[in-house]
Amino acid sequence: MTAGAAPARVVFTSGFSARYTGGVREFAIEAKNLRGVIKVMDAKFPGLGQTLEDETTVAIDGELFEIDFLAPVKPGAEVFFIPKIEGG
Amino acid sequence: MNDAVVTESLKRFKWVGTRPIRPDGVPKVTGRALYGADMKMAGMLHGRILRSPHAHALIKSIDTSKAEKLPGVKAVVTAADFPNQKFEYIGPERVAVNFWHVTRNIMAREKVLYEGHAVAGVAAINPRIAEEALALIDVEYEVLPHVIDVDAAMAPDAPLLFDDMITRGVEPAPTKPSNVSKRLEFKIGDLDAGFASADVVIEKEFKTAAVHQAYIEPHACVARIEADGQGEVWSSSQGHFQMRALTAQILGIKIGDLRFYPAEIGGGFGGKTVTYLEPVAVLLSKKSGLPVRLMMSREEVFKGSGPTSGSSMWVKIGVKRDGTLVAADGIFKFQAGAFPGSPVMNGCLCAFAPYDIPNQRTVGYDVVSNRPKAAAYRAPGSPISAFAVESVLDMCARKIGMDPLEMRLKNAAKPGTPTIFGPKHAHGGYAETIQALLNHPAYKTKLGPNQGRGVASGYWFNGGGESSATLQVNADGTVLVATGSPDIGGSRASMALMAAETLGVDYNQVRAIVADTGSIGYTHVTGGSRVTFATGTAVVNATKTVVKDLIRRAALIWDVDPEGVIWEDGHAKPAGANVGEFKPLSLREIAAKSAATGGPITAAASVNAGGQAPGFTTQFCDVEVDPETGKVTILRFVAAQDVGRAIHPSYVEGQIQGGVVQGIGWALNEEYIYNAKGLLDNAGFLDYRCPVASDLPMIEAVLVEVPNPAHPYGAKGVGEVNICAPMAAIANAIERAVGVRMPELPMSPPRVLAALDAAKAA
Repeated sequence: MTAGAAPARVVFTSGFSARYTGGVREFAIEAKNLRGVIKVMDAKFPGLGQTLEDETTVAIDGELFEIDFLAPVKPGAEVFFIPKIEGG
Repeated sequence: MNDAVVTESLKRFKWVGTRPIRPDGVPKVTGRALYGADMKMAGMLHGRILRSPHAHALIKSIDTSKAEKLPGVKAVVTAADFPNQKFEYIGPERVAVNFWHVTRNIMAREKVLYEGHAVAGVAAINPRIAEEALALIDVEYEVLPHVIDVDAAMAPDAPLLFDDMITRGVEPAPTKPSNVSKRLEFKIGDLDAGFASADVVIEKEFKTAAVHQAYIEPHACVARIEADGQGEVWSSSQGHFQMRALTAQILGIKIGDLRFYPAEIGGGFGGKTVTYLEPVAVLLSKKSGLPVRLMMSREEVFKGSGPTSGSSMWVKIGVKRDGTLVAADGIFKFQAGAFPGSPVMNGCLCAFAPYDIPNQRTVGYDVVSNRPKAAAYRAPGSPISAFAVESVLDMCARKIGMDPLEMRLKNAAKPGTPTIFGPKHAHGGYAETIQALLNHPAYKTKLGPNQGRGVASGYWFNGGGESSATLQVNADGTVLVATGSPDIGGSRASMALMAAETLGVDYNQVRAIVADTGSIGYTHVTGGSRVTFATGTAVVNATKTVVKDLIRRAALIWDVDPEGVIWEDGHAKPAGANVGEFKPLSLREIAAKSAATGGPITAAASVNAGGQAPGFTTQFCDVEVDPETGKVTILRFVAAQDVGRAIHPSYVEGQIQGGVVQGIGWALNEEYIYNAKGLLDNAGFLDYRCPVASDLPMIEAVLVEVPNPAHPYGAKGVGEVNICAPMAAIANAIERAVGVRMPELPMSPPRVLAALDAAKAA
């Protein structure tokens, strides 16, 4: 992260935040990639990192990814953790 | 060698977008393709499953002693042979697997929860003895009241399937148990303010029937477990890695002790992403010490495997007179079957996803009842909510006097449009599908009496995720591509096309196969419209690695630096005149020197592919309603779909045609019919009416190509979204033909006739 760059805006669904983050839905987090985001969230809420890995799909600036530590997170990016989707 | 050189060579598309004949065609048309039931082994036993004759009953006792004593019977299993599973929901929310439930669905324990619920398994030396043994198993039942309909199951006095089921997702948690497993809610904007700003508000209730995926091939497998506990399973499924993982978990054995081989698959459509038989076959083989084959009859498929949910829904939409959608609300109650886990979350997320509506809410309920556990079916959940939403949208368009395509175009989601599930849309493609139909010459043609034209759209996420591929170059320059994705929709052809394109060689030099769990890296299921995107990316990555290796070998042969070599049209060539005068080396020429240049030419690639783009479809159909009988005839059906880039257009068109036809069946005829005892009355294709070729016109597929930059060739998933629109398109066409709105599926002749009669009486 370069000095002064905007942190990523990390958002959870209301249901997920009620269960895991005390109802707080949004966080500003500085990280270069998804691993960094998950690491920071796990530090704030111990155990949350594993839950995110197991139960969520992530949308980074609208692009959907299965949890992949190396997925890049640009400064100012919107990072939404949403329930994992399974198709037919 | 660098990636830029390869990428440049990819722009020519000599093979991508062509239509070579299918590589699996000959064995299929000659009857030699080996499906799940075709595997035979020396000493193989024949398995059968005893199933519940009741919709809901306590199992007081099971006595298998007489069956075990029958000469020729080698093993009998019941739930007592399965390990206990912890009660916990794990994994993805939609399928939130709770193995306490899964093991009880595979083999009933305390209760049977639907007709056809498995109670015991038998393996014998021939099918007749196995059948005879089933009749000797003495099960004492105490029959309980049952409930089939989703609204009835939600009633306060409904019979409970689980005495301790407390609805998840409700705060504070209810104090009493119910059949409602879960409540979900998604919301953006200010619903009240949105509706207050609307000029027209329309709301309506809808119901849809449970429908089966109706794959032609019943579930089947063969298991052979050795005395050391290690074993092999051959089965027809949408993911042999998935079947292996589920079987290992259900039986408490190590994944590494099982090797799963993919059989040819005769259709799945989502229904073969779950396991029914494999764990039972493994147990029977383990107990008997012999290979065991289990397969379902058609009746068992209907009664014992999962259809998609039926539903009860309410949708309300507010629109301004200029066609701007301002608010949308929906309540979606989905049948989960006997255990929690309907696709209601997907229904909630997809319902309004194609549209830019600032104020939205969706509420979902996952409801258990005495039916087989629901399984995935093509864009699971999305077609159900789309039926209600796209019907109300059409009613709105009629009310304000606007062309229904123009209204959809005006409100089409585009990159940057917020979604109800949080992120903004990152991809376009929807507006292009609408525009394709507006430009279609048949859209403006005049129709006759009792004829009507209906339109509808659909949205599906499409999938990415984990896939593996290997590529081997043979000594004669032919190429083998192996992946872990069972081929349901033509993936062998598309994988070979992408490898041929990337290598710059003739498609006919490339052979693609589906490898077993011992021969390739983990690959997630063939489902979610993910294979061409994710497995295709793995294939292209492996091929690029091979190209780099070929360049290295050519440089070695020429004694130059690899930076001085490029790969073009299937040949290594000098990058420039300064490198030297060399005759281009073909793949075959390099392959012939593989031993001297480093050994076999092969590469493997594994990916967790992300950045998949969603699927959008817009469809119109012309129908004619017979006012005497209520029969609806499809006169014309045109389906436009954004496919990113069609790797093999014929297969893509086939996917669209298949999805549309399944949607037509869902719309007009297909349904589970239960009698008063909660027993299924139409468990066969004579009474469960799927459309056949003679029922239909040619389905016209319009391929809209808005490439996805996250895929090497721009591909998007194409297998599912096509089923989302037909039900509403047909309902909308019926209303425009004869003036009656059909809010319940199927829109079968008796139901249409009743609606016509009611309209006349009014």
